[in-house]
This record gives sequence, C-alpha cells and structure tokens, in this order.
Amino acid sequence: MRATLLRWLLGMGLVFPLAGLPAADKPLKIAVIPKGTTHEFWKSVHAGAVKAQRELAAQGVKIELFWKGPLKEDDRDQQIQVVENFMTRRVDGMVLAPLDSQALAAPVANAAKAGIPVVIFDSDLKSDQYVSFVATDNYQGGCLAAEHLAKLLNGQGNVILLRYAVGSASTEAREAGFLDTLRKHPGLKVISSDQYGGATRETAYQAAQNLLNRYGREVHGVFAPNESTAIPMAKALRDIGQGGGRVKMVGFDAGTQSVQDLRAGDVQGLVVQNPLRMGYAGVMTLVRHLRGEPVAKRVDTGVTLVTAENMEQAEIQALLHPPLDQYLK
Amino acid sequence: MSHPSPTQLTRLLNVFGPVLGLLFVIGVFSANPEVRPYFLTGANFKIILTQTVIVAICALGMTLIIVSGGIDLSVGSAVALTSVVGATLIVKGWPVPAVGLMTVLAGAALGLLNGAAVAGLRMMPFIVTLGMMGVARGAAKWMAGNQTVNYPNSPINQIMTLTAPRQLLPLPAGVWVAIALAVVMAVVMRQTVFGRHVFALGANELAAQLSGIRVRLHKLIIYTLAGMFFGMAGLMQLSRLTQGDPTVAIGLELDVIAAVVIGGASLSGGSGSIAGSMIGALIMAVLRNGSNQSGWPTYMQEIIIGIVIILAVAVDRLRQRRAG
Repeated sequence: MRATLLRWLLGMGLVFPLAGLPAADKPLKIAVIPKGTTHEFWKSVHAGAVKAQRELAAQGVKIELFWKGPLKEDDRDQQIQVVENFMTRRVDGMVLAPLDSQALAAPVANAAKAGIPVVIFDSDLKSDQYVSFVATDNYQGGCLAAEHLAKLLNGQGNVILLRYAVGSASTEAREAGFLDTLRKHPGLKVISSDQYGGATRETAYQAAQNLLNRYGREVHGVFAPNESTAIPMAKALRDIGQGGGRVKMVGFDAGTQSVQDLRAGDVQGLVVQNPLRMGYAGVMTLVRHLRGEPVAKRVDTGVTLVTAENMEQAEIQALLHPPLDQYLK
Repeated sequence: MSHPSPTQLTRLLNVFGPVLGLLFVIGVFSANPEVRPYFLTGANFKIILTQTVIVAICALGMTLIIVSGGIDLSVGSAVALTSVVGATLIVKGWPVPAVGLMTVLAGAALGLLNGAAVAGLRMMPFIVTLGMMGVARGAAKWMAGNQTVNYPNSPINQIMTLTAPRQLLPLPAGVWVAIALAVVMAVVMRQTVFGRHVFALGANELAAQLSGIRVRLHKLIIYTLAGMFFGMAGLMQLSRLTQGDPTVAIGLELDVIAAVVIGGASLSGGSGSIAGSMIGALIMAVLRNGSNQSGWPTYMQEIIIGIVIILAVAVDRLRQRRAG
C-alpha cells in the first residue's frame, strides 16, 4: 500500500511525456461511447465496431475496443465523465455518439487538445474539433417518413408527431424533416407536435396514452422518431383499438418489437437506419485518420423505408435482423 | 494535539475508516499493470477531483442535514432548477457575479422552503423534501420551457473547464471552491457553537430543546444553508454542461446520501463528518473512473457501488455496537 501511495504522489506532480502512435505490435486502443447500452440500436452499433475490429485484424492491424456507455442511460454529465476518463486512459481515439450537441462539445475539444482524435457518430455536435461525423442523414429520414405517411393517407388527415427528447440532435432533425415535408401537403394537418416521449419506453408510453386520450378520435396518422417512442405509440394505438392500420403509423428504427408490429400490421412503415454500418464506419474512419489518411468530414450511412411489402427481401432482412450473434457471441 | 482526547481519537478513527476505503479502491485499480500507467497520474486525479465537485459540494449541505437528524431528497432537483436559473440569467445578459449570486440564492430559497415546512409545520423531512423533489424538478422544466437553456459562451463555463490535460495542475476553479468550502464547513461543524448544536440536535432533539437550543430556528438555518450549497453545485453543473438542463442530476440525491453514509454518518443523526463525506464522494468518483478505465461493464459498476454503500453502513453498525 505504501508503494502504491508513493507512486500516486509521484504521479500527481509528474508531467507525462507525449505518447505518439504506438509501435506496430501494440494494439490501437479505441473507445466507442454510445448514448446508452440497453437499446437494441446500440447493440448493432457495437456489432459494427466489432466487425471493423475483425476486418482490421485480418489486415494485421490490432485494435483493442472499449465499449462503454454512460452509467445512467441518457445522463449528459455521466457521458462527459466517460469521455474524460478515456482521455486520461490515453486511448488512441474515441468514437462518440454525443447525448447533447452542446454539453459534449467542451469535453471533445479537451480530448482534441490532449491529442486524442474523436469521430462523432449518430448525433451531431456543435463543434469543429472532431475528425468526422458518421451518421444517418436524419433530416432525410424524417422527410421519407412524411412522404410515406402522406401516401398512406392520400394527402388528407390529422397527424400527430410524438417527439423524443430535447437536445438530441438526431431525433430533432428527423422531426424537422417530417414537419417540413408535411407542409408540402396542404391536406395534412398537424394536431400535436409539442409532446415528448422522454428517455424510456415507460415515459413514452404514458405520453402516447395521454396524447391518444386527447386526440384518439380525430387522428389519422402518427409519426414516432425513434425506437423508444415508436414501440409505446404502437402499443397505445392497439390499447384504444386503433391498431391494425385504422390509424396509420410510421416509426423509426428496427427494434424487435417494431418489426413485429410491422408484420402484425399495427405499423405501416419503419424508416430504418443502418446502426451496424455506423459502428463499422465510425471505427474505420477513426483508424484511417490515425494512419494519416484523409477522411471525409461527413459520412452518410443511409436510410431505408421498410414496409410490410418489402420486409422479406434479403437486404432488408439484414437491416431488420443484424447478425448480432456473429459479432457479440 | 500532542495529547489527543478520547473523543478526538474516535473522530480520527472515524475519518481513518473511509481513508482506508479510498486507498483500497485506488489500490485495486492500480494492481492492474495495464491500467496503472493511466490511472495513477496527476492528469487522471485532476479529472477525478473535477468529477467529484458536484457531489462533494452537495454532500457538504447533506452532511449538515443528516447530522442534525434530517434528510433532503430534493438535491438533484435543486441542482437542476438552480442550473436553469443561472442559464436563464446568462441568456438575459446579467453580469457573471450576479448570476453566481442569484444561483446560490435560488438554492437557499428552496432550502428555506424545506426548512420552513420541516421546522414550522413540524413535518417529516423525508416527505417534505420528497414533495420538493417534484416541485423543483417541475419548476425547472417549466422555467426552461421543457428544453435545455443554451447561452453564448460565458466566463461561467471556465469554472469547471479542464486545461493542461497531461498534468495535475492547474485544477479547475471549481475544485478549489469545493476544497475551500469543505475546510470552512469542517471548522464550522467542529469549532463553532452552531456546529455543536447541530450534533446535539441530531443526537437527541428533545434533550437539545430542554437544554435551551432553539431547535426550530436551527432547522431553518440548516436547510437554508444546505440549499446554498445545492445552489453552488447547480452553478458547477451549469458550468460543466455549458447549458442549463432541467433533466440533469436525476437521482443525484442518492449519490450524495451514499457519499455521506460511506463517510461515516448515521442516518439516525448525531454523527458524521465533513472530511468523511468528502472522502465518501471521492471513493465513488474513483470507482467510476477506475471501472471505466479497466473496461468493466456498466452493470458491474452499479453492483460494486451498491455493495460499497452496504459495506459502509455495516461497518458503521459494528462501530456503534462496540461503542454502545
């Protein structure tokens, strides 16, 4: 214990020398930091990161992956702590999905100052200190959802948007794309767009129930901008007997339950991202940057509209059921 | 101090327990040769200290309350509300010192309300502050218009900004503020009449009253003073997030209570120390930092922190049984 204390005291005063890129035999240490770890979406991102790790290993580039979300899901301060802790861990780089576009800007700038490059994925950051932004074009995803809903309703009807959470840039962009596109259809009226589902399915379920209690009789179409709002909204629609397509619903992301809802006909469309490609491209972009290769400042990982008609196609199946077991055991 | 009295010795032992705990936790993470070169650095301890500031400042107020035999569950909400108050004032263009002052005073106002209900209406602090937890959280969301309050860059952001990422010094101003406040509070709790009255109140309220201590006035002061600390923590949270976030610090009260309990305080009142609580807060921050860097999964961290809390209370029980 005494030796430990001595080292600690010594370490406190010491200025650590600059650590350059590790030698060829030393693995690159890369931290991948999601917004949380329980959503299926993040598990696919994890699988994508592992896929990149394996492909790079086959090329002879060893990667040590740290997969670490905030201790409390969706807690900004805790995610800042994770970024800071990996900064002193002196990882070679970080791949981060910021919980908030502003709150995470300072920690990322700090990491950059400490010589640790950060690739941002999923959600944007109000900063220019990152290497690259790897994400779905979320605005485009919202537009796609609105066009599909307009088609389902033949351009006529009342529409509800259940928002996700304040400060989450990805869902806010989807919501904006959705509302902007709806404006092009004068027959579609937005009767509620100011309610938030919040962080968990439980809070979103309550918000959906409350909304439908108020608007259940006049609503014709609903959009929910992510997994944790789409699943409870579909459930709330079923609860009041408006499932099965009586109220048209478009969701976002492909959680297991959402895919079942699509198959059962309670959901008429899902705008699906490619989280596996996001994790993969995030790690790959970072490694390319670490090797000194030029990388694009913005990498789009694409959106796809999945409906009951196209859901059995092979490439859609790969999106709906990412091969998690193959990568996460 | 050449001849420590028995009470001083007990106190020394009470603080020594948590210190051993802290050294043990640091030792556990240092044992891993892969993690040690990163974990045992000045730069890392700067980060640990910075991450401790908010819980530590809250724990100063909470120690006061718990020693006096009370409890405050509204801490997390108070931090969120005061951080929103601060952010809103920055948006309105108030000068920095005024923003700081008003943020702290907003916390004091919440504490005053708690204290008034507890002392004036003789209500149970658990229930009063449980209510305030909802009221303050709701008020924060209301005031912020149900979203985060973003402001252009302000000098307030500098309070918790980390600079020179490869060495211990300079520490962010927030760390020094927390240390200074802790020293002041330690002196107040041990050396002043007010501090002794707080202990007396927690040990036996009736006896305290019979011996002429103005119980209700003291409770009012205790909750208000604690509220000021929560407001100060709100200012730190504001600086750290560079925004006012009405959803921040949910469940913070549990971290703060855990820090105070790990530090040797008893929830039945009458015992506890500022130094112990500060070390309790540090232990939890070190656990989080070390598990991150060792690559332990998040659920392991939650389990370990839970076990540490239970162990701390068990040790406290043993100590009391021996003393009794």
